[in-house]
Amino acid sequence: MIVERYARNLGLPGWTVETQRRLATAGVLVVGAGGLGSAVLPYLVAAGVGRTGIVEDDTVEITNLQRQVLYDTPDVGTSKAEAAARRLSALNPEVTVTPHRTRLTPENAAGILAAYDLVIDCTDNLATRQLINRTCLELGKPWVHAAVSEYYGHVTTLRPAGPCWHCLSGMDTAAEPPPSGILGPVAGLIGCLQATEALKYLTGTGRLLVGRLLVWDALRPGWEEFSYRKNPDCAVCGNRNIPVPPAAD
Amino acid sequence: MAMQVELRVFATLRKYLPDHPLDRGVVVTVEPGTTVGQLITKAGVPLEKVKIVMVNNRHADLDQQLVDGDRVAVFPPVAGG
Ligand SMILES: [Zn+2]
Repeated sequence: MIVERYARNLGLPGWTVETQRRLATAGVLVVGAGGLGSAVLPYLVAAGVGRTGIVEDDTVEITNLQRQVLYDTPDVGTSKAEAAARRLSALNPEVTVTPHRTRLTPENAAGILAAYDLVIDCTDNLATRQLINRTCLELGKPWVHAAVSEYYGHVTTLRPAGPCWHCLSGMDTAAEPPPSGILGPVAGLIGCLQATEALKYLTGTGRLLVGRLLVWDALRPGWEEFSYRKNPDCAVCGNRNIPVPPAAD
Repeated sequence: MAMQVELRVFATLRKYLPDHPLDRGVVVTVEPGTTVGQLITKAGVPLEKVKIVMVNNRHADLDQQLVDGDRVAVFPPVAGG
């Protein structure tokens, strides 16, 4: 590890060479490399996260370039995961970036997530979020959820013991068409908050947005925080704390 | 006696309340016993477009009864990334 690269991390209050080493041994999985992922990924890799995985099966389209600043015009038509990995490896050759050229599915989710310490939700649909929530609960992994639409974005951090995404969102994942418009920097701003939460979690710095939905409305403009709790009747996490009765012999 | 509550809508729900000011919600006069769901319907926001509701910045259900001065925030499913 070249300490000089991380001098402005090491200059942070509470951040030591040991903190930096902890980052260097950490693995983060970023699901989706679109508008949110374009902000999350460079900041994780630049900060020195040792292993970053990217789950993304799309190719770069011209309509992506308005907000997905990880890609260049010559990347149009090529694999997003591969293009992102190339760019990120140039940004920081000291760390490992692994493209997973697939969608996250019920069949592959546990196998992919198991290799990482933290999951960052940069997807563009509710079904994948439902899958991340369930898989993270099963594997005991934390994750950072965010979503954006038009001039709006929100972010919250979920730990296995805390309220889950279904406690907040309910079970119904009625198909929601992707937003027809997203202001690019709103996605960037919310993605930067996800990266901030990730780096704080991995280094044990400060408090996390657990049970707190942080909302940005760019029209108003303003931040606002909303709280939510574990729902004891949650169909996904509700019964997890009930001890298994001993087997009768 | 009628009560006044504030209703704020976020993201794509804004289109249902064209008079919603940018920096605050709309004030709605309701009868005592009115629920969050009834308020949303009365204001003209389709209930099936609502994913999350908050009352006074805390997570709430559609059947929660409102009290005078409550601030209700309503969110659609937000899927973009
Ligand atoms: Zn739950």
